[in-house]
Amino acid sequence: MATSGLNEIRTNENISMDKSNSSVSSTILPWDRFSNWVYCVCSVTFDLELGQAMEMIYPAHVKLTEREKLNICYLSFPDSNSGCMGDTQFHFRIRQCPGKKSHFPAQFNYNKDCPASLQSDAGYWFGFVYFRQTRDPSQKRGYFQKSVVLITRLPFTQFFSHVLSIVANEFFENGELSLEAACHDIDQWPEPIPGQNVQLPLVGSVLQVCIPSRLDQMIISPLKIGDSNHSLGQEIYPSIHEIDIFSPLQTVLNNVQLLWELVLTAEPVVAMASSPSFCANAVQSLVSMIWPLKYCSDYRPYFTIHDSEFKEYTTKTRLPPSVILGVTNPFFSKTLQHWPHIIRIDDNLGTSEKSLSKMKKAFNPKALDTKPGVYTEYKPFLQKDKQILKRFVKGVETKRPLEVQNTILKRYLMELTQSFMIPLERYAASLMPFLKNISPFKSVPTLKPFVLSDMLASVERSGPQLTCGVKGDWLGLYKKFVRTINFEGWWRYRQTEMNRKLQALHFEALADADLILWIRNKPEVEVVDIILRLRDKLSLARRKIIPVSENSIRKVNIQLESIINCVPDDLKSVLMSNNRQR
Amino acid sequence: MHKVHTDRIISDFPSPYDSSASPYHQLNFHPLVKSVSAENRSGTVGLKICKAVLVGDVAVGKTCLVNRFCHDAFDRDYKATIGVDFEVEKFSVLSIPFNLQLWDTAGQERFRCIAASYYRGSSIIIAVCDIMDPESLNHTKTWVDEAKKTAENPNIFLVITKKDLATEEHVALMKEEGKKMAQLIGAELWIVSSYTGENVKEFFFRAVALTFDKTVQSEIEWINNKTNIQIGSSLVDMNQTTSSSRQKSPTRSNCC
Repeated sequence: MATSGLNEIRTNENISMDKSNSSVSSTILPWDRFSNWVYCVCSVTFDLELGQAMEMIYPAHVKLTEREKLNICYLSFPDSNSGCMGDTQFHFRIRQCPGKKSHFPAQFNYNKDCPASLQSDAGYWFGFVYFRQTRDPSQKRGYFQKSVVLITRLPFTQFFSHVLSIVANEFFENGELSLEAACHDIDQWPEPIPGQNVQLPLVGSVLQVCIPSRLDQMIISPLKIGDSNHSLGQEIYPSIHEIDIFSPLQTVLNNVQLLWELVLTAEPVVAMASSPSFCANAVQSLVSMIWPLKYCSDYRPYFTIHDSEFKEYTTKTRLPPSVILGVTNPFFSKTLQHWPHIIRIDDNLGTSEKSLSKMKKAFNPKALDTKPGVYTEYKPFLQKDKQILKRFVKGVETKRPLEVQNTILKRYLMELTQSFMIPLERYAASLMPFLKNISPFKSVPTLKPFVLSDMLASVERSGPQLTCGVKGDWLGLYKKFVRTINFEGWWRYRQTEMNRKLQALHFEALADADLILWIRNKPEVEVVDIILRLRDKLSLARRKIIPVSENSIRKVNIQLESIINCVPDDLKSVLMSNNRQR
Repeated sequence: MHKVHTDRIISDFPSPYDSSASPYHQLNFHPLVKSVSAENRSGTVGLKICKAVLVGDVAVGKTCLVNRFCHDAFDRDYKATIGVDFEVEKFSVLSIPFNLQLWDTAGQERFRCIAASYYRGSSIIIAVCDIMDPESLNHTKTWVDEAKKTAENPNIFLVITKKDLATEEHVALMKEEGKKMAQLIGAELWIVSSYTGENVKEFFFRAVALTFDKTVQSEIEWINNKTNIQIGSSLVDMNQTTSSSRQKSPTRSNCC
């Protein structure tokens, strides 16, 4: 039985790699484990005649539409001739073509318990790229240019970059077969269950990671990959998603609060940089600025003119969409000059390589200037916090380690986000029905509706002014925020969470109620109704959709059986056969 | 926490299959290893790990050997290993948690080019051959030579499988041949049957105990060198040992 298999994985605390567990292995088909982590791995080459071409896909049975293939091909190479000699790593995010399975087998369980901002979005893929360009006189144009791309639905940026670098290096060294072997390694990885420590074998060593859970303490985990000890064949990851947000944002830190507001309110933002890795990191950093809140709109760490959404996103006939794009092609300075917020990232800090666009012909003064900075007419709601800026300046002056700068920045942003969210969280909690209104004999009560004016009124009592030193028009910011997709996403998540809680409370009430007494003298139709409802609830509880204890499940099951025993025999047999059919 | 199955506890030093076919002559854990382990009975020392690779020709029974040991199962159907299979077995040796990583490589020629990456850092090499296929015994030398290149001073074992298929005379014959090969490649010889399970557990216990002993010894040595305490001096500062050995290996403090 599928559910019991799942339970066994759950209770098998640490390493759920135990194949002897027959009930587990029987539910797992070849490539099921693999597809929980990775959709496919492919290699893309540059063909002199065809341009970018997909050489191969692993596993071979994986389906990609022509459009998806094309997108992956274009996004797997640098967009401009900016050199990129040697190895370059970056990532992108693409839309899946509709009409196919848009989730991985364990996605429901993963999304249910992971932090909201790390949920996997149905219909989107991340692509991690390892691009190698070296001089090779044997090639026609004198260069070897090839990319290995890993496609996944999990937003574990840090982790997959690392995984891909291992896999790609093997591939460049030993060829195609190493991809097959690496994919086979991944096919032995246990399901990504939030909160679990898992050991993941890959190319002769074992990566040990902890799958983030929404129950994790909201602390900022260290960036550095634990000192890996290859001789032990074991590498430990303190975090599989934390990234360095300080370096990509360093040149625009002056506007850190403004950027935070732009991301929070899902304004259209484009980040321009000269290399794919830099714009990808910048976009990923922007998106994570509002952690632990989830950025719910679309974002493209690396976006090219060949992208199938290019027209949709760059059209001038409509207002720019609420998305964050990372671009490198100088052509975008022109195409996106009508965008309200443009960030130019300077990635030449400390390096000699000269910066991107020398677009002098641009019409817009914003686009003319290629100096790093934020180009916008946006008036922030909140006043600039000069203290934090001073801290960063001092950090740079005293050569404070990058990890520390990151921790300071992340903590600052997280506190800002939390200060902003606390009134919303509090207000949302006040929409829960009272416990006394939960009756086993009635249906589950519903949440009270979200009323903006009530929420705003509560801000005056319990607003961010109490927890945060930043002054400004907080109310204005709330009013803007509640119209955004980020608010919608958050509210949907909170509703789901609260409804699950209500369902659980109702379930517990059912477990302890005297249902036999209640059905006495009730018409048969009502008795049948409660039987069907109990069955539904049990099925939800067994699938862990309603979070209740095993004990309550047992109790409700007993309730159900004893009710069935009370009904006349002919009805009983109907109910039993009906149950079997389900 | 490190939960070890009662079946995976090693407290006595296991014997070899045939002491005349083994380069390892010790009869017990090293006294220092014993005393260090005794001091750490409380479990303050975290997890130790060792990596083992299985190598050998196609269809000699590498995966069957692993399956018999890890799952106490035997599958008659032959399924070729793709690339490399992986298992972890948790042991407790002298009450210290010790994990055995088993990397079961494919014997097929086509996977040879990638194998080196999988051998890297292994401390146990298990060369497997088929009792009914003398050629596979001859090939073990090549396999071991290949694996030794990237291993770290490994313990080497030569395991002849499918004992159940052979007559007593044939077993005796192969044992003589195996001894010669074992001597040549510096390995300890074992003759086992994954089908009946004969000697499978004994073999793995022996391999794990020997490797544990070596790992802990070299660790003590490393610490002694570092803290300038001479080996053999009667006073080994245990507190020092624990604290510095923890610093040495970050993997241990993060035992899962």
